[in-house]
Amino acid sequence: MNPPPSAELGPQLITLMAALMLVLQLLLAVQPMLFTSVRLFAIQSLFLAGIAGVVAFFDDASEVYVVVVLTVIGKVIFLPWLLNRQLRRIKIAQEVEPLFNAPATIMVCGGLTLLGYLVARPFTSLERLGNNTLAIAITLVLTGFFMMINRRKAISQVIGLLTVENGVMLAAIALTTYGMPLVVEFGIFFDVLVAVMILGILIYRIRETFASMDTSKLNQLKG
Amino acid sequence: MPNGILALIAPFVIRYFPMTLLTPILIAPVAAGLANLLPVPRRVMRWLNVMAFVATLGLGIMLLREVLARGVVAEWNEFLYADALSAWMVLLISMVSLGTSLYAGRYFDRDLANGAITPARVREFFVLTPLFSAGMFLVVLANNLGVMWAAVEATALSSVLLVALYNRKTSLEAAWKYIMLGSLGLALALLGTVFVYAAACKNNSGPLPSFNWSHLVTVADQFDPRMMKIAFLLALVGYGTKAGLAPMHTWLPDAHSEAPSPTSAMLSGVSLKVAIYALLRFHILASACLGSGFSRHLLLGFGLASMFLAPPFILVQRNLKRMLAYSSLEHVGLICTGIAMNTPVTIFGALLHMGYHSLTKPVLFFAAGNIGHAFHSLQYRVIGHGVVKVLPVTALLMVLAAASAIGLPPFGLFFSELTVISGGFAAGKAFVSILILVALIASFCGVLQQLSRILPGVPKPEFANKSSAARFDGVPAMALLLGTLLVFSVWLPAPLLQEIHQAAAIIGGKQ
Repeated sequence: MNPPPSAELGPQLITLMAALMLVLQLLLAVQPMLFTSVRLFAIQSLFLAGIAGVVAFFDDASEVYVVVVLTVIGKVIFLPWLLNRQLRRIKIAQEVEPLFNAPATIMVCGGLTLLGYLVARPFTSLERLGNNTLAIAITLVLTGFFMMINRRKAISQVIGLLTVENGVMLAAIALTTYGMPLVVEFGIFFDVLVAVMILGILIYRIRETFASMDTSKLNQLKG
Repeated sequence: MPNGILALIAPFVIRYFPMTLLTPILIAPVAAGLANLLPVPRRVMRWLNVMAFVATLGLGIMLLREVLARGVVAEWNEFLYADALSAWMVLLISMVSLGTSLYAGRYFDRDLANGAITPARVREFFVLTPLFSAGMFLVVLANNLGVMWAAVEATALSSVLLVALYNRKTSLEAAWKYIMLGSLGLALALLGTVFVYAAACKNNSGPLPSFNWSHLVTVADQFDPRMMKIAFLLALVGYGTKAGLAPMHTWLPDAHSEAPSPTSAMLSGVSLKVAIYALLRFHILASACLGSGFSRHLLLGFGLASMFLAPPFILVQRNLKRMLAYSSLEHVGLICTGIAMNTPVTIFGALLHMGYHSLTKPVLFFAAGNIGHAFHSLQYRVIGHGVVKVLPVTALLMVLAAASAIGLPPFGLFFSELTVISGGFAAGKAFVSILILVALIASFCGVLQQLSRILPGVPKPEFANKSSAARFDGVPAMALLLGTLLVFSVWLPAPLLQEIHQAAAIIGGKQ
C-alpha cells in the first residue's frame, strides 16, 4: 500500500500543476486588467513547461526537455514581452463591458469545467500522467473559446486563443507519454510565434483605421 | 554566362541533392518570395513569381510521371511523401498560382494608378503569395501529420495579410474574422492530430516509431476506435473551417470579397481544396480504423449542408465577389458529398470536380477584378447594367467561365457533376443524388439570375465612354486557365486519367 515516493511524486506534481493551470484560467476569464492577463498567461505557460519538465525528469525522456525550453522561451518570455509592448503602444489597460459580467462568467466557466470532465471521462484509463490532466486540458480549450467570445478587445481574444493552445499542448502531454515528435513541436512553436506577430500587425492596423481595438466595431460585413 | 555557372554548380547539386523532385517544388516559390524582399523593380517581382510557378508546374508534371511509374515518391527519409493524391494537388496549386501571378501584375499596376494601394503593399503581395503557395505545397507533400498541420497554419498566416492588403475598414474586418475563426479551427485540428497520435500509441509504451501518414495508414486498424472518432470529429470541424464547409463558412464570403482579386482566386481556387485534402487524410485513417461508415456520414452531412446553404445566399447577394464566394461553397460541398458517397465513380468525379473548379473559379475572380476596376465597385447597384458594352472581352470570358461554373457542357464541371450524380444513382444512393441535383439546379438559377442582371443592357452614362485601354488586361491569365479547362474537358490524357483513378483508389481504398 505504500509505494515508494519517487513513483508517486511525478504524477502528484503533474496533477498539482495542472490544477493550478485551471485556477489561472478561471482568473484570466474574470479579471479585466489586460497587463495582469498577460502576466497570468505567462505563469500558466510556466506551469505547462513545469509539467513537461516533470515528464522529462521522471520518465527519463531527454527529448521532452526541448519542449520545456521552447515553452519557456516562447510563451513565458517572448510572447508576454511582445503583448506587453503592444499594450504599452496602444495605451489600453482594461477590458470594457464583456458580454457576461464576472459572476455569470464564473458560472459559465464552472459549467464548461464540468463538461470538460464529462468529455474526458471515457479516456481516464488511457491517461498516462496524473489524474484529471486531460479533463483540465479540455476545460482550458473550452474556456479559452468562451473567453474569445466574451471579450471584445482584440488583445483579450488573442490571449484567449493562446490559452486554447496551452490546453492543446497539455492534452498532448497527457495523452502521449513522450509528447509529440520534435519536428511537430518545432512547427507548432514557430506557428504560434508568427501567429501572434501577425495578429499584432493586424491589431495595430485595426487601431489605426478604427481608432479603437474593440472588435465589436467590426460589424460591416453581413450575409 | 549563366550556362557556365550552371555547369560549375551542376555536379555539386547532383552530388549532394540526389534525385530531388519534391524539394525543388518547395524551394522554387520560397526562393521567389524571398528574392522579392530585395528592392527589385515590380516587373522583376512579377516575372520571378511566374517563373517559380512555371518551374513547379514542370516539376509537378515530372512528379506525375514518377508517381505513375513507382506509385510513391519520397524524399528526406520519407519526410516528404507524394502519392497520386498529392501529385494531383501539386498540379492544381501550380496551375492556379501561375494564373494568379500572370494576372496580378497588371491588376496592381491599375491599383497603383488609382492610388488604391501603396508600392510597399504590392511588394507584400509578391512576397506573401509565393510563400502562401509554398505552404500549400508543404501541406500536400508532408508525410508527418503534425507537419501537415503546421503547414496548413502557415497558409492561413501567409494569406491573412493578403486579405487585409487594401487596409480598408472592411478588409481589416474580414482579415480579423478570417484569422480568428481560422486559428480556432486549426487549434481544434491540432487537438485532433494529438488524438490521432494518442490513438496510435495506445499499445506502445515508448514513443511512436513514426508519426508519418504512410506508416499510420498501415497500422490504422489497431488504433483505439474511441480516440479515432474524437480525432476525426475535431479534424472535421478544424480543417472544415479552413475548407469553408457550412456552418463554419462564415469567414469565407468576407475574406473572398475583401481580398484583392488575385488572392480571392488563390483562396477559392486551391486553398479550400488543400484544406479538404488535409481532411481526406484523416478520413482515410478513420475509414481504415472504424470502417467507412462513421467519417463518411459526417462528411455527407457537412457536404450537403454546404450545398443547400449556398443557393439562397447566392440569390440575395448584392456584391459580385460575395456571390462567387458562395458559389465556391456550393462546389466544395459537392466535392465532399461525392467523396462521402464512397464509390469509386463518385470519388473519381469529386477529384475531377476539384480540378475543373480550380481552373474555373479563378477566371471568374479575375473578371470580377477587372469589373471592379472599371466600375470602382463590386456592388450590383453601382455597376448597373451593360458590362458587355464597357468590358467586352472580360465579359465574354466571364460568361464562358460562368457557364462552366454552373455546369453547362462542354465544360468539365458538367461532366464531373454528371459523374458524381450518375455514380450515386448506380450505387443505389438515389436520394442523395436527387438532393445534389436539386441543390445544383438552385445554384444554377442563382448565378444565372445574378449575372444576367449586370452583364447585358445599357451601361450607366458615367461608364459608357470608358477608354478601352484596359480592354485586354488580364486576358492572358484568363485565357490560359480557360483554355486549359476546355482542353482537359474534352480530352483527358491517359496518364492524368490514370492518376486520378489512383488517387480515388487511395481515398476509397477500403469499402
